[in-house]
Amino acid sequence: MRGVSYLAVAPEIVLSVGAVIVLLVGVFARRSVRLLGWMVGLIYILAALAIVLQWRRVDAEGAGFSFEGTIFLDYSSVGVRAILLVVAVLGTATAWEMLVGLGSRFAEGVTLILIATTGFMLMGASADLVMIFVALEIGSIALYVLAGIVRSSLAGDEAALKYFLLGSFASAIFIYGGALVYTATGSTNLFVIASGLSGVHVVRPALLLIGMGLLVVGLGFKVTAAPFHSWAPDVYQGAPSGVVGFMAAAAKIGGFAALINILTGGFERYAAAWGNGLALMAAVSMVVGTLLAIGQSDVRRMLAYSGVAHAGFIITGMVGGTVTNSGVMFYLATYAVMLVGAFAAVTTVSGPAASGSSFEEYRGLGRSSPMVAAVLATLMIAMSGLPVTTGFIGKFQVFTSAWDGGYGWLVITGLVASVAAFFFYLRLVVLMYFGKDEDSGPRSKPTRAVRSVLVFSAGSSILFGVFPGPLLAVLERTIG
Amino acid sequence: MSGFSLLTALILTPVVAALVVMLIPDHRRELVRPLGVVLSLLPIPLAVGLFLAFERGEPGFQFVEQWVLIGRLGVEWHLGVDGISLLLVLLTTVLVPIALAASGGINHRIGLFVAMNLLLEAGLIGVFLSLDLFLFFVFFEAILVPMAFIIGIWGSENRVYAAVKFFLYTALGSALMLAGIIALALIHRDQMGFISFSYFGMLDLDLGVTAQRWLFGAFLVAFAIKVPVFPLHTWLPDAHVEAPTAGSVLLAGVLLKLGTYGLLRFNLPLFPEATLDFVPLLATLAVIGVIYGAVVAIVQHDLKKLVAYSSVSHLGFIVLGTFALTSQSLEGSVIQMVNHGLTTGALFLLVGMIYERRHTKKIADFGGLASSMPVFAGVFLFIAFASIGLPGLNGFVGEFLILIGSYPTLPVYTVLAATGVILAAIYLLWAYERVFTGEITDPANRQVKDLSISETLIFVPLVALIIVLGVYPKVALDVIGPSTDAVLERVEATTDFSAPQPGNTVATASEDRR
Repeated sequence: MRGVSYLAVAPEIVLSVGAVIVLLVGVFARRSVRLLGWMVGLIYILAALAIVLQWRRVDAEGAGFSFEGTIFLDYSSVGVRAILLVVAVLGTATAWEMLVGLGSRFAEGVTLILIATTGFMLMGASADLVMIFVALEIGSIALYVLAGIVRSSLAGDEAALKYFLLGSFASAIFIYGGALVYTATGSTNLFVIASGLSGVHVVRPALLLIGMGLLVVGLGFKVTAAPFHSWAPDVYQGAPSGVVGFMAAAAKIGGFAALINILTGGFERYAAAWGNGLALMAAVSMVVGTLLAIGQSDVRRMLAYSGVAHAGFIITGMVGGTVTNSGVMFYLATYAVMLVGAFAAVTTVSGPAASGSSFEEYRGLGRSSPMVAAVLATLMIAMSGLPVTTGFIGKFQVFTSAWDGGYGWLVITGLVASVAAFFFYLRLVVLMYFGKDEDSGPRSKPTRAVRSVLVFSAGSSILFGVFPGPLLAVLERTIG
Repeated sequence: MSGFSLLTALILTPVVAALVVMLIPDHRRELVRPLGVVLSLLPIPLAVGLFLAFERGEPGFQFVEQWVLIGRLGVEWHLGVDGISLLLVLLTTVLVPIALAASGGINHRIGLFVAMNLLLEAGLIGVFLSLDLFLFFVFFEAILVPMAFIIGIWGSENRVYAAVKFFLYTALGSALMLAGIIALALIHRDQMGFISFSYFGMLDLDLGVTAQRWLFGAFLVAFAIKVPVFPLHTWLPDAHVEAPTAGSVLLAGVLLKLGTYGLLRFNLPLFPEATLDFVPLLATLAVIGVIYGAVVAIVQHDLKKLVAYSSVSHLGFIVLGTFALTSQSLEGSVIQMVNHGLTTGALFLLVGMIYERRHTKKIADFGGLASSMPVFAGVFLFIAFASIGLPGLNGFVGEFLILIGSYPTLPVYTVLAATGVILAAIYLLWAYERVFTGEITDPANRQVKDLSISETLIFVPLVALIIVLGVYPKVALDVIGPSTDAVLERVEATTDFSAPQPGNTVATASEDRR
């Protein structure tokens, strides 16, 4: 299947064409939020259909390449698309109120979300370093703009600029790594690299290893792994709350998908080399993320640092040599949903276009806004990895995989970090529920769209926490 | 096995009840507590049925249910009940309705309160019934959330601190146990070819002594914090003092037993060689706990704190009995878990009731209450006697079995621990004297209302059980004995340890008791 199969990129085609149409319609029909809403819904449905068709194709014909081997179609790439689509739908619903508030630039915002989704979907399906880079940039640039889309917000501008500068820097590191790998192996295609490496003994692997390391660093930035995380708290805090959840989750999914593809697809033979490096990165992420999250006074910064720790947990699942572990996919998918849900709650509490969300705003939420508080409490419990939630099942799997791979010290580090993490997850629950009966004043009610996001994220966290079997069975196939 | 899954029903009934209670609309909130109490009674017939249908003399697990839950991870919904867990399940089902019935003072978010108590009950029963270590851990850890909420929302002034401390302490312990469970499952895969968390599978593993020691340690930390074993007990007084009455009752009555239950269920049979290595350490800590808890209880000014520290002391006995590794001491430990649940649960109820009336728990604020509330004083004295171990009441049976059973293997420790019985008499009777006897000095104590009829009724089941277990412990020991003997046989079969056969005098004494 070396030729061109449009099915291999069908969801991306749907989303990008849809994005263009939305933009054009937006220009001519500036005030028709309703019309655009129906269109976006239709685009997502078509994308979902495309994903189903892809899945069936893989069922029938097995995995394959197209576009001269730069794009592959297998369960894992389709699985990543499905997760991203869910995140995009939830993210759009959360951002809706903020986007409507943009007035005539409404269509612009929707378009950016669609393009970012396209980029990160492509990232998970790319088998070529250059293609990964292109996809990464498509997704990232859309996110940079989204971060600053509320023009009146100084904090948003700051966040956008910071994200853009540091993000570009990371992209540069990534492409430099790609160049070094090309120098060492003569190809940018992961599977060509892999088969080339399997046959020969690289006499001087330094160039290759440095290149590989730089690729990891570049992606480490995108997934907010420590020590490449410093942008995240500022951006999560400054960007308009409506889009942060989507921003954070989509970039993480795309980044991890690419990381898995590069490490297992291209450099499986060097697993011993990158295993220890990744383990170190995982440990640093878990410890740094957790410790810094404890001291935060802003919920969004706390979620950013907790995201650093979560990146560490996900990487923990990758180091055991069994990178192709459905546990990582499970963790990624469920954490992404929790993250979007948590930011949907933030949106309700602090307002859809706001920057920042201090802990104090959550005092007494359990009384004044029981539904939002219950969801947020559930999500905090799920993120902290307590049983009966997906967070526990995810953590359990990554720890098992790491222990199995001989990284006992990493598991202990992770467990201790999980306990320390209770400090800040619990703090939010304490503020919402354990306070005296002080009246925290009236709260804005979540919109219907946000309510659905909240219910979905909390509900799925519990449902798949109690019955993870079906989801695991599906993800099982994505491990190729 | 019949079509009806009794054990699953026992776990799910409280969950369903919790959901029902949560669905009651806000304008009918006066219905919440009565309905909650009624719903919480539902597991009792199930548990009693279990007790009646339980086959005596059978050491193994009964009513076993086993389904694949998460095939990929080897996790099973695997439940069973034996003589060690049966009575603890029964105790749980009895204490929850009592705790709810005694929570009349709680009006704030009552629906959530009742639901949390019911979820806690489901988790506790789940812990006792799980035969899959993954499932066990899920229940063990899931309990933290409702308990932390109960302390944190409905506790007294310092509740947030106490709730967080409770949560973090116990979560830290179980984190290490999780590592141990993962390690065991992977060892199972290496030795048996497939990953599994089954308790029976774990029993068949061939573990080296070093591995056993590490794993024993990992499980021990989790359980020792829960018990709590000295010096890991510091969360307990805070949690107890701040918790609402229902929270204290369930915390002391059942939650602490998770630790001693875990030691007996997992540490002894799974890591027998390591158990023998750890006996001196645990016996020492147990005796320190017995004496330290009692001495600190003596000097307390706060009635609730006194009862809390008495728990540290009583649970020291149970740990001592567990690690003395004789037939009687193990039996005594299990029955003492039940006894302590009944007596300390009742003591916390009493303290809660007097606090509701006088809004103080300070011993110095009382005095002469026996004249203004004679029924209350009578019940208190009765429970205190049970707690001290007056012959004819339940506490005596447990402590006697533990002491007489521990003496052959741990004579010095046992003699030291026996002083705990005397100290218990001191702190409880001295507290009784200061609170109830003498002249009424504070006029506020003159108007205190005695127990109402409904309050008195709450104590009826507890008092009845205390007497039954004291006069006719055979009803419990027949259930417990075979299972604890099986644990002992397991330790003897896998190590060169052999439990001392009771000598003539001891044997006669214990035969008489039976």
